[in-house]
Amino acid sequence: MNSAQIEIQLIASLVAVACAIPGTFLVLRKMAMISDAISHSILPGIVIGFFITQDLNSPLLILLAAITGIITVVLVEHIQKTGLVKEDTAIGLVFPALFSIGVIMIAKNANDVHLDVDAVLLGELAFAPFDRLFIAGTDVGPKSLWIIGAILLITLGLLFAFFKELKISTFDAGLAASLGFSPALIHYGLMTVSSVTTVGAFDAVGAILVVALMIAPAAAAYLITTDLKKMLLLAIIFGVFSAISGYWFAHWLDASIAGSITTMLGLLFLIVYLFAPSKGLIAVMYREKQQRIEVSLLTFLLHLKNHDDIEERHVNHLNEHINWQKVRSKTVLDLAQKNNMIEIDNKIVSLTEKGDEFTSKAIDYIITNEDAQIEDMKDDFFLFRG
Amino acid sequence: MLGSFAVLRKQSLLGDAISHAALPGIAIAFLITGAKDSNTLLLGALVSGLLGTFWIRGIITKTHLKSDTALGLILSLFFGFGMLLLTFIQKQPNANQAGLDKYLFGQAATLVESDVWLMAIVTGLCLLVLFLFWKEFKILLFDKDYAKTLGFNTKTIDILITSFIVLAIVLGLQTVGVVLMSAMLLAPAAAARQWTNSLSKMVLLAAIFGAFSGVFGTAISASQNNLSTGPVIVIVASVFVVVSFIFSPSRGLLFRQIRFIANRRDLEQQKTLAFMYHIAETHEDISHPHTIKILNNFQGFTRKTLQKLVDKDYVTIDGTMWSLTQKGFEKAANLYNQQHKTDE
Amino acid sequence: MKKIAVQVDDLTVAYNYKPVLWDIDLEIPEGVLMAIVGPNGAGKSTLIKAILGILKPIAGSVSIYGKPYEKQRDLVAYVPQKGSVDWDFPTTALDVVMMGTYGSLGWIKRPSQKEKKAALEALEKVGMLPFKNRQISQLSGGQQQRIFLARALVQDASIYFMDEPFQGVDATTEIAIINILKELRKAGKTVIVVHHDLQTVPEYFDWVTFLNVKKIATGPVKDIFNDDNLTKTYGINYKVSIQE
Repeated sequence: MNSAQIEIQLIASLVAVACAIPGTFLVLRKMAMISDAISHSILPGIVIGFFITQDLNSPLLILLAAITGIITVVLVEHIQKTGLVKEDTAIGLVFPALFSIGVIMIAKNANDVHLDVDAVLLGELAFAPFDRLFIAGTDVGPKSLWIIGAILLITLGLLFAFFKELKISTFDAGLAASLGFSPALIHYGLMTVSSVTTVGAFDAVGAILVVALMIAPAAAAYLITTDLKKMLLLAIIFGVFSAISGYWFAHWLDASIAGSITTMLGLLFLIVYLFAPSKGLIAVMYREKQQRIEVSLLTFLLHLKNHDDIEERHVNHLNEHINWQKVRSKTVLDLAQKNNMIEIDNKIVSLTEKGDEFTSKAIDYIITNEDAQIEDMKDDFFLFRG
Repeated sequence: MLGSFAVLRKQSLLGDAISHAALPGIAIAFLITGAKDSNTLLLGALVSGLLGTFWIRGIITKTHLKSDTALGLILSLFFGFGMLLLTFIQKQPNANQAGLDKYLFGQAATLVESDVWLMAIVTGLCLLVLFLFWKEFKILLFDKDYAKTLGFNTKTIDILITSFIVLAIVLGLQTVGVVLMSAMLLAPAAAARQWTNSLSKMVLLAAIFGAFSGVFGTAISASQNNLSTGPVIVIVASVFVVVSFIFSPSRGLLFRQIRFIANRRDLEQQKTLAFMYHIAETHEDISHPHTIKILNNFQGFTRKTLQKLVDKDYVTIDGTMWSLTQKGFEKAANLYNQQHKTDE
Repeated sequence: MKKIAVQVDDLTVAYNYKPVLWDIDLEIPEGVLMAIVGPNGAGKSTLIKAILGILKPIAGSVSIYGKPYEKQRDLVAYVPQKGSVDWDFPTTALDVVMMGTYGSLGWIKRPSQKEKKAALEALEKVGMLPFKNRQISQLSGGQQQRIFLARALVQDASIYFMDEPFQGVDATTEIAIINILKELRKAGKTVIVVHHDLQTVPEYFDWVTFLNVKKIATGPVKDIFNDDNLTKTYGINYKVSIQE
């Protein structure tokens, strides 16, 4: 592993971290698509900045691009406010228009310079180490490393300074406002950070893959935990992991680094999506099956409690009247018996004392809307789960 | 055209996601067949587009992630994967690979006759289905639960609409490309919505707007060097949207503003008149003159409104004194009574 | 004994595996004007939606005049909650009412003059004929509700289900709607209404069902609309002063 490789991985990891932090909040605030819009619409800002400075890494360019990002957000919000179209339509209208302007500007003017659309969309991490920053004649490392490092530092600084405010305004904007934190200020602050990060990162990973780095680690983390701090941490870990493994994957395939980082992110998300302990697809399906049976059991017990007449409590009644298939009613019946909640005497089902108590409690909790209590109660009463 | 449905279903960004998701399909189709035949590639795009759509649905229904996250996720992940495959293909010794990136931005100039035929056929098919199931689409879009109680299988209609949107997107990829497809889907529909309140007219208008932006955009891009078709078409379509937002007679911002100002003027006049009425009421002679100065205490009074009232013959002015005319008094009395009625 | 219009047996419905309706047994006789009352989250709308097959129940069955709902669709009309649709949708009042005829038309077939005439008549009945070509977002809340009612009337059903028809409507509309409902009852139809305002129950309805996850009571208003049942339903010691 030579120094260029290490530098590339370092840059990729820094980008991943810098993206994961605002990304987490965007996902939580249900504004993920805004990052997509920003990543496209900063193009005209970049182009104008490039015309002025002739340098892709100048701070002015980053500033201009960030301003374009904010303009996008403001435009989208304005269009929404007119009530003429819905929110997502507004997003879908604004960013292609701005992006097109950028593409046309490039096509008309920048044909002969080092700025083409592919680079903006995809970035080329492999070349990053060749563009080096010299301070007083000494080589201090690749330029993009410094830029993304600076952005990351600012982001981290802001995160630590305003963690509490961010947290409150994300979960309860009304409360935040009543406590005196301006939700608008935090909103635009977050948007600014997202824009700046996008700009800083586009050079390395390209505009669209910034979106992947923002959303995918945060989304995967959100499936595993709901604790904000843990979620941030996990998102960062996921991001860095994909960045490094993506680099080696690309190395092996000899293909786009950015593309393979995204692919790794995709795989990671797929794995989390399937296997996450409580929110993953498999866990959810298992739990749904369990709950379906348990709810059926509750229904059945309640039915027994409600009806004293023998006819309603006959085993066959289950099939005919409650409209269940044979297999299902048998599962439910077995479960109830295993848990000592019912007795079957001569095909007539009746509640045991335990079943009776369980059912009464369950009804109380459901009427008072205390779901958590029901789960506790199931733990108390059940010997076997569904 | 089908964009109208996307806009009304609040699934505007789905188009964006699908078009991005189609990219790996194109690349894989190329890898498998090694041919650049656009039909095969589009089939690949269709499959991966549909796959993306279903995964988005899966994420939304099975996890607590919200739709925007799911969209952004699928969009960027599929696109990244597609890019990986494209760069991988470029590194292959197969010389045949150039031209795949036309799907990124679209290049109408590269269309050949068979492509155009294919488009025409699919468009015709879309029209036919739209015509046949017009009623069903409409009721599903407007009131899904109600459609269910009427005995329509809402799932079938839903899948039908979604598949056609995906199909339309995939076809459009060649012309405007992955990145800008969503605008093609949304812009004509959003513009059309501003001009009409009828679904059929909206769909028709959207089709016209779309066709116009296509024709104009292609013409402009052909007349200039170095302009790819896609972005120009999108810009033209966006101009349509902006114009519609501002100038549409019933919903447009311009007319809304004009109406708003007109309303406020009316209100000011009425208020001033009512204020005068209260003063005049205390006198036996309603036309008894008062100084204009009294009115200065009243908020919302301007010399202009007074002049307007004079023009309408409600008030007469004599030097610095004003007095209500008989007509003005009756008008004011009327207003006053009306106000009280609505208060009750 | 009158015929039973709607029979609900052991109906249990759950959202995300959390039961919202438990083991409901309910018989609604033909020709009543019935209110379903209960606190927020008691499952009132859910009950209607489950009866209409919009929600799939976990257990239990529903029959309309002795047969499963799927076979009796023609006999049933539904007025959803006003908030359930997008009123900015590009369509006119008449168009919405015409939707009521779609069910009997079935797939693909278009409405003809006959359907249009029926829709216009329904509009007339609810006093909305002058507004037939209005875009629906330009109607007031009360007018929108009347359009919904007209759409159900077009279906010419025997049983009408209405979800909160009096929510957010003006007093005139409320009276107009209740008069139409009373007319329907006179014509022998059965009307089932999810209702919020307990004060007006004795005035508007002759039958009532108390619901709070379980069925509390059901029967004629004059027999069962009392403080005892209200307390059972709403938990606290609930008393209504019934206006004479």
